[in-house]
Amino acid sequence: MSLAALPQHGGGELPRPRRDRRELAGNAAGAAILVLVLVQALHVTRFQPTEIVAGVGGIYDILRRGTPPDLTDLQPALGAALETFDVALLGTFLAMVVSVPLGLLAAENTTPNRAAYLASRSLIGICRAVPDIVWALLFVTAVGLGPFPGTLGLGVHSVGILGRLYAECIEDMDMGPVHVLRVGGAGRMQVATHAVLPGVLPSLLGLTLYRFDTNLRATIALGFVGGGGLGLQIFTTLNLFEYQRLTTLLLVMLVLILIVEGLAVLLRRRIR
Amino acid sequence: MAIAPAVHRPAPRGGAEAGRPLLEVRGLTKRFDGGRVVLDGVDLVARRGEVTAILGPNGSGKSTLLRCTVRLVEPSAGTVWIDGEELTALSDRRLQEARRAIAMVFQSAHLVRRRTALANAASGALGSLGGLAVACGRLPREALELGHRNLVRVGVEHVARQRAETLSGGQAQRVAIARALSQRPRVLLADEPVASLDPDATEEVMVLLRSLAADEGMAVVCVLHQPELARWHADRIVGLRAGRIVVDAPATEVDDAALTRLYRGHASSG
Repeated sequence: MSLAALPQHGGGELPRPRRDRRELAGNAAGAAILVLVLVQALHVTRFQPTEIVAGVGGIYDILRRGTPPDLTDLQPALGAALETFDVALLGTFLAMVVSVPLGLLAAENTTPNRAAYLASRSLIGICRAVPDIVWALLFVTAVGLGPFPGTLGLGVHSVGILGRLYAECIEDMDMGPVHVLRVGGAGRMQVATHAVLPGVLPSLLGLTLYRFDTNLRATIALGFVGGGGLGLQIFTTLNLFEYQRLTTLLLVMLVLILIVEGLAVLLRRRIR
Repeated sequence: MAIAPAVHRPAPRGGAEAGRPLLEVRGLTKRFDGGRVVLDGVDLVARRGEVTAILGPNGSGKSTLLRCTVRLVEPSAGTVWIDGEELTALSDRRLQEARRAIAMVFQSAHLVRRRTALANAASGALGSLGGLAVACGRLPREALELGHRNLVRVGVEHVARQRAETLSGGQAQRVAIARALSQRPRVLLADEPVASLDPDATEEVMVLLRSLAADEGMAVVCVLHQPELARWHADRIVGLRAGRIVVDAPATEVDDAALTRLYRGHASSG
Protein backbone atom coordinates (compact mmCIF):
# COMPACT_ATOMS: atom_id res chain seq x y z
CA MET A 1 0.00 0.00 0.00
CA SER A 2 1.41 3.39 -0.90
CA LEU A 3 1.33 6.34 1.49
CA ALA A 4 -1.09 8.18 -0.80
CA ALA A 5 -3.56 5.36 -0.40
CA LEU A 6 -3.76 5.83 3.38
CA PRO A 7 -6.91 7.69 4.51
CA GLN A 8 -6.26 11.35 5.32
CA HIS A 9 -7.65 12.28 8.73
CA GLY A 10 -7.51 15.53 10.70
CA GLY A 11 -4.48 17.20 9.16
CA GLY A 12 -2.71 14.00 8.17
CA GLU A 13 -2.79 12.31 11.63
CA LEU A 14 -3.61 8.62 11.58
CA PRO A 15 -6.66 7.63 13.67
CA ARG A 16 -5.80 5.90 16.94
CA PRO A 17 -6.37 2.17 16.38
CA ARG A 18 -9.47 0.83 18.10
CA ARG A 19 -7.40 -1.82 19.87
CA ASP A 20 -5.30 0.88 21.62
CA ARG A 21 -8.44 2.50 23.02
CA ARG A 22 -9.72 -0.83 24.26
CA GLU A 23 -6.35 -1.54 25.88
CA LEU A 24 -6.34 1.89 27.54
CA ALA A 25 -9.85 1.35 28.90
CA GLY A 26 -8.83 -2.07 30.20
CA ASN A 27 -5.75 -0.65 31.94
CA ALA A 28 -7.84 2.15 33.51
CA ALA A 29 -10.40 -0.35 34.79
CA GLY A 30 -7.59 -2.53 36.19
CA ALA A 31 -6.03 0.45 37.98
CA ALA A 32 -9.43 1.47 39.42
CA ILE A 33 -10.01 -2.06 40.78
CA LEU A 34 -6.53 -2.11 42.34
CA VAL A 35 -7.19 1.23 44.07
CA LEU A 36 -10.53 -0.06 45.40
CA VAL A 37 -8.92 -3.23 46.76
CA LEU A 38 -6.16 -1.22 48.47
CA VAL A 39 -8.71 1.17 50.02
CA GLN A 40 -10.70 -1.74 51.48
CA ALA A 41 -7.43 -3.21 52.83
CA LEU A 42 -6.61 0.11 54.56
CA HIS A 43 -10.11 0.15 56.05
CA VAL A 44 -10.07 -3.46 57.25
CA THR A 45 -6.61 -3.16 58.82
CA ARG A 46 -7.54 0.20 60.38
CA PHE A 47 -4.37 1.61 58.90
CA GLN A 48 -3.75 4.96 60.62
CA PRO A 49 -0.14 6.21 60.45
CA THR A 50 -1.00 9.11 62.79
CA GLU A 51 -1.37 6.61 65.62
CA ILE A 52 2.29 5.65 65.25
CA VAL A 53 3.28 9.28 65.82
CA ALA A 54 0.94 9.54 68.79
CA GLY A 55 2.26 6.30 70.29
CA VAL A 56 5.97 6.91 69.70
CA GLY A 57 6.32 7.61 73.40
CA GLY A 58 5.34 4.01 74.20
CA ILE A 59 7.98 2.64 71.82
CA TYR A 60 10.58 4.93 73.37
CA ASP A 61 9.55 3.73 76.85
CA ILE A 62 10.02 0.06 75.89
CA LEU A 63 13.42 0.81 74.34
CA ARG A 64 14.49 2.73 77.43
CA ARG A 65 13.41 -0.08 79.74
CA GLY A 66 15.21 -2.61 77.51
CA THR A 67 18.60 -0.95 77.79
CA PRO A 68 21.20 -1.81 78.73
CA PRO A 69 20.74 -5.50 77.85
CA ASP A 70 20.96 -7.92 80.76
CA LEU A 71 24.05 -9.96 79.86
CA THR A 72 23.90 -12.10 82.99
CA ASP A 73 21.45 -14.28 81.08
CA LEU A 74 23.69 -14.64 78.04
CA GLN A 75 24.49 -18.31 78.56
CA PRO A 76 20.85 -19.54 78.57
CA ALA A 77 20.22 -17.25 75.59
CA LEU A 78 23.06 -18.93 73.69
CA GLY A 79 21.65 -22.33 74.58
CA ALA A 80 18.24 -21.26 73.28
CA ALA A 81 19.90 -19.92 70.11
CA LEU A 82 21.54 -23.31 69.50
CA GLU A 83 18.16 -24.97 69.97
CA THR A 84 16.56 -22.56 67.49
CA PHE A 85 19.36 -23.23 64.99
CA ASP A 86 19.00 -27.00 65.41
CA VAL A 87 15.21 -26.95 65.01
CA ALA A 88 15.54 -24.99 61.75
CA LEU A 89 18.44 -27.15 60.55
CA LEU A 90 16.77 -30.49 61.24
CA GLY A 91 13.37 -29.34 59.97
CA THR A 92 14.92 -28.11 56.72
CA PHE A 93 17.06 -31.24 56.32
CA LEU A 94 14.09 -33.57 56.82
CA ALA A 95 12.08 -31.52 54.34
CA MET A 96 14.93 -31.67 51.80
CA VAL A 97 15.24 -35.46 52.08
CA VAL A 98 11.50 -35.91 51.48
CA SER A 99 11.19 -33.15 48.87
CA VAL A 100 13.83 -34.44 46.43
CA PRO A 101 11.94 -37.62 45.46
CA LEU A 102 8.64 -35.79 45.80
CA GLY A 103 9.85 -33.03 43.47
CA LEU A 104 10.92 -35.63 40.88
CA LEU A 105 7.46 -37.22 41.03
CA ALA A 106 5.72 -33.84 40.92
CA ALA A 107 7.63 -32.47 37.91
CA GLU A 108 5.83 -33.04 34.61
CA ASN A 109 9.02 -33.93 32.77
CA THR A 110 10.27 -36.57 35.22
CA THR A 111 7.13 -38.08 36.74
CA PRO A 112 6.62 -41.73 35.80
CA ASN A 113 2.87 -41.43 35.31
CA ARG A 114 -0.20 -39.24 35.87
CA ALA A 115 -1.21 -40.97 39.11
CA ALA A 116 2.21 -40.34 40.71
CA TYR A 117 2.09 -36.73 39.52
CA LEU A 118 -1.35 -36.07 41.02
CA ALA A 119 -0.58 -37.89 44.27
CA SER A 120 2.70 -36.02 44.83
CA ARG A 121 1.18 -32.64 43.89
CA SER A 122 -1.70 -33.28 46.31
CA LEU A 123 0.64 -34.20 49.15
CA ILE A 124 2.75 -31.10 48.51
CA GLY A 125 -0.41 -28.98 48.43
CA ILE A 126 -1.64 -30.32 51.78
CA CYS A 127 1.75 -29.77 53.46
CA ARG A 128 1.87 -26.21 52.15
CA ALA A 129 -1.75 -25.28 52.84
CA VAL A 130 -1.46 -25.88 56.60
CA PRO A 131 0.86 -23.26 58.20
CA ASP A 132 3.93 -24.51 60.10
CA ILE A 133 2.58 -23.13 63.37
CA VAL A 134 -0.59 -25.24 62.99
CA TRP A 135 1.45 -28.33 62.13
CA ALA A 136 3.57 -27.65 65.24
CA LEU A 137 0.45 -27.37 67.42
CA LEU A 138 -0.80 -30.69 66.03
CA PHE A 139 2.52 -32.32 66.84
CA VAL A 140 2.54 -30.73 70.33
CA THR A 141 -0.69 -32.63 71.03
CA ALA A 142 1.01 -35.81 69.88
CA VAL A 143 4.51 -35.57 71.39
CA GLY A 144 4.23 -32.76 73.96
CA LEU A 145 6.00 -29.40 74.28
CA GLY A 146 9.60 -28.77 73.24
CA PRO A 147 11.74 -28.46 70.14
CA PHE A 148 10.70 -31.84 68.68
CA PRO A 149 7.14 -30.84 67.63
CA GLY A 150 8.56 -27.57 66.30
CA THR A 151 11.05 -29.49 64.14
CA LEU A 152 8.29 -31.74 62.80
CA GLY A 153 5.98 -28.81 62.12
CA LEU A 154 8.66 -26.90 60.25
CA GLY A 155 9.68 -30.03 58.34
CA VAL A 156 6.19 -30.91 57.15
CA HIS A 157 5.33 -27.37 56.05
CA SER A 158 8.73 -27.04 54.35
CA VAL A 159 8.00 -30.21 52.34
CA GLY A 160 5.07 -28.27 50.86
CA ILE A 161 7.31 -25.34 49.95
CA LEU A 162 10.46 -27.17 48.84
CA GLY A 163 8.57 -29.95 47.04
CA ARG A 164 6.86 -27.40 44.84
CA LEU A 165 9.98 -25.30 44.26
CA TYR A 166 12.07 -28.39 43.45
CA ALA A 167 9.41 -29.61 40.99
CA GLU A 168 9.30 -26.24 39.22
CA CYS A 169 13.10 -26.12 39.09
CA ILE A 170 13.20 -29.62 37.55
CA GLU A 171 10.53 -28.67 35.02
CA ASP A 172 12.69 -25.75 33.87
CA MET A 173 15.88 -27.79 33.44
CA ASP A 174 17.65 -28.60 30.17
CA MET A 175 16.24 -32.00 29.19
CA GLY A 176 19.01 -32.76 26.69
CA PRO A 177 21.18 -34.91 29.02
CA VAL A 178 18.02 -36.70 30.19
CA HIS A 179 17.02 -37.62 26.62
CA VAL A 180 20.55 -38.82 25.87
CA LEU A 181 20.63 -41.19 28.85
CA ARG A 182 17.07 -42.40 28.21
CA VAL A 183 17.95 -43.20 24.60
CA GLY A 184 21.02 -45.02 25.93
CA GLY A 185 18.82 -47.39 27.96
CA ALA A 186 19.43 -45.92 31.42
CA GLY A 187 16.70 -46.59 34.00
CA ARG A 188 14.46 -43.93 35.52
CA MET A 189 16.40 -43.84 38.79
CA GLN A 190 19.73 -43.68 36.97
CA VAL A 191 18.50 -40.81 34.82
CA ALA A 192 17.34 -38.98 37.95
CA THR A 193 20.63 -39.37 39.82
CA HIS A 194 23.04 -39.00 36.88
CA ALA A 195 21.35 -36.32 34.76
CA VAL A 196 18.46 -34.58 36.55
CA LEU A 197 19.90 -34.01 40.02
CA PRO A 198 23.45 -33.05 38.95
CA GLY A 199 21.87 -30.58 36.53
CA VAL A 200 19.67 -28.85 39.09
CA LEU A 201 21.79 -29.34 42.21
CA PRO A 202 22.97 -25.72 42.61
CA SER A 203 19.41 -24.45 42.25
CA LEU A 204 18.06 -27.03 44.72
CA LEU A 205 20.73 -26.18 47.28
CA GLY A 206 20.11 -22.46 46.79
CA LEU A 207 16.38 -22.99 47.42
CA THR A 208 17.14 -25.13 50.47
CA LEU A 209 19.43 -22.50 51.96
CA TYR A 210 16.77 -19.86 51.40
CA ARG A 211 14.22 -22.12 53.11
CA PHE A 212 16.62 -22.68 56.03
CA ASP A 213 16.93 -18.94 56.42
CA THR A 214 13.11 -18.59 56.43
CA ASN A 215 12.74 -21.52 58.85
CA LEU A 216 15.21 -19.95 61.27
CA ARG A 217 12.92 -16.92 61.61
CA ALA A 218 9.81 -19.12 61.69
CA THR A 219 11.31 -21.07 64.59
CA ILE A 220 11.04 -17.94 66.75
CA ALA A 221 7.28 -17.85 66.17
CA LEU A 222 7.03 -21.60 66.83
CA GLY A 223 8.60 -21.01 70.24
CA PHE A 224 5.54 -18.94 71.13
CA VAL A 225 3.35 -22.06 70.87
CA GLY A 226 5.69 -24.32 72.82
CA GLY A 227 8.25 -25.12 70.13
CA GLY A 228 11.22 -24.24 72.36
CA GLY A 229 14.32 -22.18 71.51
CA LEU A 230 14.66 -18.40 71.44
CA GLY A 231 10.96 -17.97 70.67
CA LEU A 232 9.90 -19.54 73.95
CA GLN A 233 12.41 -17.37 75.87
CA ILE A 234 11.23 -14.20 74.11
CA PHE A 235 7.61 -15.10 74.83
CA THR A 236 8.41 -15.65 78.53
CA THR A 237 10.38 -12.41 78.97
CA LEU A 238 7.59 -10.44 77.24
CA ASN A 239 5.03 -11.91 79.61
CA LEU A 240 7.23 -11.08 82.62
CA PHE A 241 8.02 -7.54 81.30
CA GLU A 242 11.78 -8.36 81.50
CA TYR A 243 12.76 -5.99 78.70
CA GLN A 244 16.51 -6.03 79.42
CA ARG A 245 16.54 -9.83 79.06
CA LEU A 246 14.41 -9.40 75.94
CA THR A 247 17.07 -7.10 74.43
CA THR A 248 19.74 -9.72 75.09
CA LEU A 249 17.64 -12.38 73.37
CA LEU A 250 16.94 -10.12 70.39
CA LEU A 251 20.65 -9.34 70.03
CA VAL A 252 21.54 -13.04 70.15
CA MET A 253 18.86 -13.71 67.50
CA LEU A 254 20.29 -10.94 65.31
CA VAL A 255 23.81 -12.37 65.58
CA LEU A 256 22.51 -15.87 64.81
CA ILE A 257 20.70 -14.67 61.68
CA LEU A 258 23.78 -12.74 60.50
CA ILE A 259 26.03 -15.79 61.02
CA VAL A 260 23.60 -18.02 59.10
CA GLU A 261 23.36 -15.50 56.26
CA GLY A 262 27.14 -15.36 56.05
CA LEU A 263 27.38 -19.14 55.94
CA ALA A 264 24.68 -19.29 53.25
CA VAL A 265 26.63 -16.83 51.07
CA LEU A 266 29.80 -18.95 51.46
CA LEU A 267 27.94 -22.18 50.64
CA ARG A 268 26.26 -20.67 47.57
CA ARG A 269 29.68 -19.63 46.25
CA ARG A 270 31.03 -23.15 46.73
CA ILE A 271 28.18 -24.99 45.03
CA ARG A 272 28.11 -22.93 41.84
CA MET B 1 27.32 -26.66 -5.67
CA ALA B 2 30.86 -27.95 -6.12
CA ILE B 3 31.61 -31.61 -5.85
CA ALA B 4 34.45 -32.28 -3.45
CA PRO B 5 37.53 -34.15 -4.49
CA ALA B 6 37.56 -37.83 -3.73
CA VAL B 7 38.78 -38.54 -0.21
CA HIS B 8 40.24 -41.60 1.34
CA ARG B 9 37.53 -43.67 3.02
CA PRO B 10 38.69 -46.32 5.46
CA ALA B 11 37.44 -49.71 4.37
CA PRO B 12 34.82 -51.15 6.72
CA ARG B 13 35.99 -54.02 8.87
CA GLY B 14 33.95 -57.01 9.81
CA GLY B 15 34.43 -59.38 6.89
CA ALA B 16 31.20 -61.03 5.88
CA GLU B 17 29.33 -58.96 8.47
CA ALA B 18 30.20 -55.71 6.68
CA GLY B 19 27.17 -54.19 4.98
CA ARG B 20 24.68 -56.18 7.07
CA PRO B 21 21.59 -54.07 7.81
CA LEU B 22 21.58 -53.00 11.49
CA LEU B 23 18.78 -50.46 11.33
CA GLU B 24 15.72 -50.89 9.17
CA VAL B 25 12.90 -48.38 9.11
CA ARG B 26 9.76 -49.36 7.19
CA GLY B 27 6.85 -47.05 6.36
CA LEU B 28 7.55 -44.73 9.29
CA THR B 29 4.84 -42.09 9.61
CA LYS B 30 4.46 -39.33 12.15
CA ARG B 31 1.30 -37.29 12.32
CA PHE B 32 1.20 -34.58 14.98
CA ASP B 33 -1.94 -33.28 16.68
CA GLY B 34 -3.92 -31.29 14.16
CA GLY B 35 -3.17 -33.80 11.44
CA ARG B 36 0.14 -32.30 10.27
CA VAL B 37 2.13 -35.11 8.66
CA VAL B 38 5.88 -34.75 9.35
CA LEU B 39 6.96 -38.20 8.16
CA ASP B 40 5.05 -39.97 5.45
CA GLY B 41 5.95 -43.63 4.97
CA VAL B 42 9.72 -43.32 5.29
CA ASP B 43 11.92 -46.35 4.52
CA LEU B 44 15.56 -46.37 5.58
CA VAL B 45 18.26 -49.00 5.89
CA ALA B 46 21.57 -48.34 7.69
CA ARG B 47 24.28 -50.97 7.31
CA ARG B 48 27.15 -52.10 9.45
CA GLY B 49 30.33 -50.15 8.77
CA GLU B 50 28.58 -47.47 6.74
CA VAL B 51 27.75 -43.81 7.26
CA THR B 52 24.31 -42.78 6.01
CA ALA B 53 23.78 -39.03 5.70
CA ILE B 54 20.27 -37.62 5.84
CA LEU B 55 19.85 -34.35 4.00
CA GLY B 56 16.87 -32.13 3.41
CA PRO B 57 15.54 -28.61 3.80
CA ASN B 58 14.42 -27.24 7.17
CA GLY B 59 11.20 -28.84 8.37
CA SER B 60 11.56 -31.86 6.10
CA GLY B 61 11.37 -34.26 9.07
CA LYS B 62 15.05 -35.24 9.46
CA SER B 63 15.26 -34.81 13.24
CA THR B 64 11.77 -36.27 13.74
CA LEU B 65 12.91 -39.33 11.79
CA LEU B 66 15.78 -39.92 14.26
CA ARG B 67 13.58 -39.26 17.29
CA CYS B 68 10.89 -41.62 16.00
CA THR B 69 13.54 -44.23 15.29
CA VAL B 70 14.44 -44.45 19.00
CA ARG B 71 10.86 -43.70 20.08
CA LEU B 72 11.79 -40.49 21.84
CA VAL B 73 8.81 -39.39 19.75
CA GLU B 74 6.27 -42.17 19.22
CA PRO B 75 5.67 -42.82 15.50
CA SER B 76 2.06 -42.90 14.26
CA ALA B 77 2.70 -45.89 11.98
CA GLY B 78 5.52 -48.00 10.59
CA THR B 79 8.16 -50.26 12.08
CA VAL B 80 11.75 -49.87 13.26
CA TRP B 81 14.07 -52.88 13.47
CA ILE B 82 17.42 -52.83 15.26
CA ASP B 83 19.59 -55.78 14.34
CA GLY B 84 16.55 -58.00 13.82
CA GLU B 85 14.51 -56.80 16.85
CA GLU B 86 11.38 -54.76 16.23
CA LEU B 87 11.71 -51.68 18.43
CA THR B 88 8.22 -50.40 17.66
CA ALA B 89 6.60 -53.53 19.15
CA LEU B 90 8.34 -53.41 22.53
CA SER B 91 6.91 -52.54 25.93
CA ASP B 92 8.55 -49.68 27.86
CA ARG B 93 10.74 -52.06 29.89
CA ARG B 94 11.91 -54.05 26.85
CA LEU B 95 12.40 -50.79 24.95
CA GLN B 96 14.77 -49.57 27.66
CA GLU B 97 16.90 -52.70 27.18
CA ALA B 98 16.75 -52.60 23.38
CA ARG B 99 17.75 -48.94 23.28
CA ARG B 100 21.20 -49.88 24.58
CA ALA B 101 22.02 -50.86 21.01
CA ILE B 102 21.40 -47.31 19.79
CA ALA B 103 23.32 -44.22 20.83
CA MET B 104 22.36 -40.71 19.92
CA VAL B 105 24.42 -37.56 19.49
CA PHE B 106 22.63 -34.24 19.19
CA GLN B 107 23.51 -30.82 17.75
CA SER B 108 24.15 -29.64 21.29
CA ALA B 109 26.42 -31.99 23.20
CA HIS B 110 23.87 -32.18 26.05
CA LEU B 111 26.50 -32.87 28.70
CA VAL B 112 25.73 -32.50 32.39
CA ARG B 113 27.49 -29.17 32.81
CA ARG B 114 28.65 -29.58 36.40
CA ARG B 115 30.12 -33.05 35.92
CA THR B 116 33.55 -33.77 34.53
CA ALA B 117 34.13 -34.83 30.95
CA LEU B 118 35.11 -38.26 32.30
CA ALA B 119 31.87 -38.68 34.30
CA ASN B 120 29.87 -37.58 31.26
CA ALA B 121 31.70 -40.02 29.01
CA ALA B 122 31.27 -42.85 31.52
CA SER B 123 27.53 -42.17 31.94
CA GLY B 124 26.94 -43.72 28.52
CA ALA B 125 27.49 -47.11 30.16
CA LEU B 126 24.60 -46.64 32.62
CA GLY B 127 22.20 -48.74 30.57
CA SER B 128 24.28 -51.86 31.20
CA LEU B 129 24.98 -51.14 34.88
CA GLY B 130 22.87 -52.01 37.88
CA GLY B 131 23.04 -51.84 41.66
CA LEU B 132 22.16 -49.45 44.42
CA ALA B 133 25.39 -47.42 44.23
CA VAL B 134 24.83 -46.66 40.54
CA ALA B 135 21.18 -45.79 41.23
CA CYS B 136 22.40 -43.37 43.92
CA GLY B 137 24.61 -41.50 41.46
CA ARG B 138 27.97 -43.31 41.68
CA LEU B 139 29.88 -44.48 38.64
CA PRO B 140 31.81 -47.74 39.13
CA ARG B 141 35.49 -48.03 38.28
CA GLU B 142 34.88 -50.13 35.14
CA ALA B 143 32.52 -47.47 33.75
CA LEU B 144 35.08 -44.73 34.45
CA GLU B 145 37.81 -46.80 32.78
CA LEU B 146 35.59 -47.34 29.75
CA GLY B 147 34.78 -43.63 29.68
CA HIS B 148 38.48 -42.78 29.79
CA ARG B 149 39.29 -45.23 26.98
CA ASN B 150 36.62 -43.57 24.87
CA LEU B 151 37.91 -40.08 25.67
CA VAL B 152 41.28 -41.34 24.40
CA ARG B 153 39.50 -42.81 21.36
CA VAL B 154 38.01 -39.43 20.43
CA GLY B 155 41.19 -37.52 21.32
CA VAL B 156 40.10 -35.45 24.32
CA GLU B 157 41.56 -37.41 27.25
CA HIS B 158 43.41 -34.24 28.33
CA VAL B 159 40.09 -32.66 29.40
CA ALA B 160 38.93 -35.71 31.39
CA ARG B 161 39.01 -33.92 34.75
CA GLN B 162 37.52 -30.65 33.47
CA ARG B 163 33.91 -29.76 34.11
CA ALA B 164 31.79 -30.03 30.97
CA GLU B 165 30.82 -26.36 31.21
CA THR B 166 34.44 -25.35 30.58
CA LEU B 167 34.83 -27.27 27.30
CA SER B 168 34.83 -25.76 23.81
CA GLY B 169 32.08 -26.75 21.38
CA GLY B 170 34.32 -29.22 19.55
CA GLN B 171 35.61 -30.77 22.78
CA ALA B 172 32.08 -31.06 24.17
CA GLN B 173 30.85 -32.80 21.01
CA ARG B 174 33.73 -35.25 21.20
CA VAL B 175 32.90 -36.00 24.83
CA ALA B 176 29.29 -36.57 23.71
CA ILE B 177 30.57 -39.06 21.13
CA ALA B 178 32.74 -40.73 23.81
CA ARG B 179 29.60 -41.04 25.96
CA ALA B 180 27.80 -42.63 23.02
CA LEU B 181 30.70 -45.08 22.57
CA SER B 182 30.57 -46.05 26.27
CA GLN B 183 27.13 -47.41 25.48
CA ARG B 184 28.82 -49.90 23.08
CA PRO B 185 26.09 -49.27 20.50
CA ARG B 186 25.57 -51.02 17.19
CA VAL B 187 23.83 -47.99 15.70
CA LEU B 188 24.88 -44.36 16.19
CA LEU B 189 22.35 -41.67 15.33
CA ALA B 190 23.78 -38.17 15.03
CA ASP B 191 21.34 -35.25 14.72
CA GLU B 192 23.24 -32.35 13.15
CA PRO B 193 26.35 -33.08 15.23
CA VAL B 194 28.44 -30.41 13.51
CA ALA B 195 25.84 -27.65 13.12
CA SER B 196 27.39 -25.44 15.79
CA LEU B 197 31.07 -26.24 15.15
CA ASP B 198 33.76 -24.32 13.29
CA PRO B 199 35.18 -25.83 10.06
CA ASP B 200 38.16 -27.54 11.74
CA ALA B 201 36.06 -29.10 14.49
CA THR B 202 33.45 -30.07 11.89
CA GLU B 203 36.05 -31.94 9.87
CA GLU B 204 37.44 -33.66 12.97
CA VAL B 205 34.02 -34.84 14.13
CA MET B 206 33.03 -36.10 10.69
CA VAL B 207 36.31 -37.99 10.29
CA LEU B 208 35.72 -39.46 13.74
CA LEU B 209 32.19 -40.62 12.84
CA ARG B 210 33.52 -42.06 9.60
CA SER B 211 36.22 -44.02 11.44
CA LEU B 212 33.74 -45.28 14.06
CA ALA B 213 31.68 -46.84 11.32
CA ALA B 214 34.74 -48.35 9.67
CA ASP B 215 36.70 -49.44 12.78
CA GLU B 216 33.93 -50.33 15.22
CA GLY B 217 31.54 -51.72 12.62
CA MET B 218 28.70 -49.43 13.64
CA ALA B 219 25.93 -48.20 11.41
CA VAL B 220 26.14 -44.39 11.61
CA VAL B 221 23.15 -42.29 10.57
CA CYS B 222 23.92 -38.60 10.49
CA VAL B 223 21.58 -35.68 9.83
CA LEU B 224 23.54 -32.95 8.05
CA HIS B 225 22.85 -29.57 6.55
CA GLN B 226 25.93 -29.45 4.35
CA PRO B 227 25.65 -31.60 1.20
CA GLU B 228 29.43 -31.30 0.68
CA LEU B 229 30.09 -32.98 4.02
CA ALA B 230 27.64 -35.74 3.13
CA ARG B 231 29.38 -36.40 -0.14
CA TRP B 232 32.81 -36.37 1.46
CA HIS B 233 32.10 -38.54 4.45
CA ALA B 234 28.97 -40.63 3.87
CA ASP B 235 28.60 -43.90 2.03
CA ARG B 236 24.95 -43.30 1.32
CA ILE B 237 22.80 -40.18 1.07
CA VAL B 238 19.13 -40.16 1.90
CA GLY B 239 17.23 -36.99 0.96
CA LEU B 240 14.06 -36.10 2.82
CA ARG B 241 11.60 -33.53 1.57
CA ALA B 242 8.22 -32.78 3.19
CA GLY B 243 8.44 -36.03 5.13
CA ARG B 244 9.14 -38.24 2.12
CA ILE B 245 12.30 -39.85 0.80
CA VAL B 246 13.17 -38.25 -2.53
CA VAL B 247 16.82 -39.35 -2.75
CA ASP B 248 18.34 -42.65 -1.61
CA ALA B 249 21.57 -43.54 -3.33
CA PRO B 250 25.29 -44.14 -2.78
CA ALA B 251 27.01 -40.83 -2.02
CA THR B 252 29.10 -41.09 -5.18
CA GLU B 253 25.94 -41.22 -7.31
CA VAL B 254 24.21 -38.17 -5.84
CA ASP B 255 24.89 -35.32 -8.24
CA ASP B 256 24.14 -31.61 -8.13
CA ALA B 257 20.86 -32.03 -9.98
CA ALA B 258 19.60 -34.48 -7.36
CA LEU B 259 20.56 -32.08 -4.58
CA THR B 260 18.85 -29.21 -6.34
CA ARG B 261 15.68 -31.30 -6.63
CA LEU B 262 15.97 -32.10 -2.94
CA TYR B 263 16.36 -28.53 -1.76
CA ARG B 264 14.30 -26.64 -4.34
CA GLY B 265 11.64 -29.25 -5.05
CA HIS B 266 12.12 -29.33 -8.84
CA ALA B 267 14.72 -30.30 -11.40
CA SER B 268 17.48 -27.83 -12.13
CA SER B 269 17.57 -26.30 -15.54
CA GLY B 270 21.17 -27.35 -15.99
